[in-house]
Amino acid sequence: MHRNARYQVNFKGTLPTLILDSLVHEPRHGYGIAQGIKDRSQGVLDFKEGTLYPALHKLENEGLVESYEDVENGRPRRCYRITKSGRASLVKDRAQWRELSKAVTMILGEA
Amino acid sequence: MTAGLKLWLGQATRHLSKDSAAQVRSEIQEHYESALDAAVNCGNSRDHADTIALAALGDATTANRQYRKVLLTSGEARLLREGNWEAKTFCARRLARTLTLSMPGLVMLIAVALFLMGATGVARIPLIGAIGMALLFLARFLPIYTPSRSRIFRYVKWVILAAMPILAFGAEALKFSWLLIACLWPVAWVEWTRISIRRKLPVSRWPRQLYL
Repeated sequence: MHRNARYQVNFKGTLPTLILDSLVHEPRHGYGIAQGIKDRSQGVLDFKEGTLYPALHKLENEGLVESYEDVENGRPRRCYRITKSGRASLVKDRAQWRELSKAVTMILGEA
Repeated sequence: MTAGLKLWLGQATRHLSKDSAAQVRSEIQEHYESALDAAVNCGNSRDHADTIALAALGDATTANRQYRKVLLTSGEARLLREGNWEAKTFCARRLARTLTLSMPGLVMLIAVALFLMGATGVARIPLIGAIGMALLFLARFLPIYTPSRSRIFRYVKWVILAAMPILAFGAEALKFSWLLIACLWPVAWVEWTRISIRRKLPVSRWPRQLYL
């Protein structure tokens, strides 16, 4: 349903949290992270993929993810995995998001 | 590499340092190839797949703006390369190091002697000179190896820098503010650039000069 009505959501502030969440279960490369976010949101969170890497670099600078070289289908790939502090940050972000989402729903849900 | 991707990368890597630009090129090319393969596997022609993969990357100028916030720019890389001249000049040679270490103390002694002789006005000049030299030269020899020590040192440094003109010009410090701004803007620019570099580099990769 969302695929036909695809629109871009301004979720700049939540992109780092979504990246951390997509790395919780397994390490992934940039393309895998982008596709994972798009697929899991059923296309609603459609973002420009060129902006994914600056967010990944920021997370790496903050020590929340770490990158390493890997080979996939004979092709060298830079993969990313979440760190211990990244997991702690994700738990905090999730709690904040739930609180925010509840507050917004309380207001908009009345309309 | 297609012409479209080359153009996109050219715009996305503008003003980035050589290493940063190489990193961006490599990761975006990897990403583009995956997107291209996926589009071809969905039944698109090679040309159409190229258009889809490029469109998915978005605006190169926006990406460049965001890259410049997290990766070293060419100016910052130059500052890291060339901003270490004090260490190279003073720490590398034994004679220079000895002179450097003794000079602020010597000038301070002159200032104290002048104060004791009652020449307070003249004594201010060697005193300011001694503080300035100590700040510039001796900091390198202090055990500042952690971000918290570095932060404390920088606070102290700025307090001293602010106190120096007051000490030099006394009540007329504000009157000479134009002169101070003219003299201190390169220092302020270097400090501003260092703040930006500290945000971009993890602490483990900080060179010694970033701690000061």
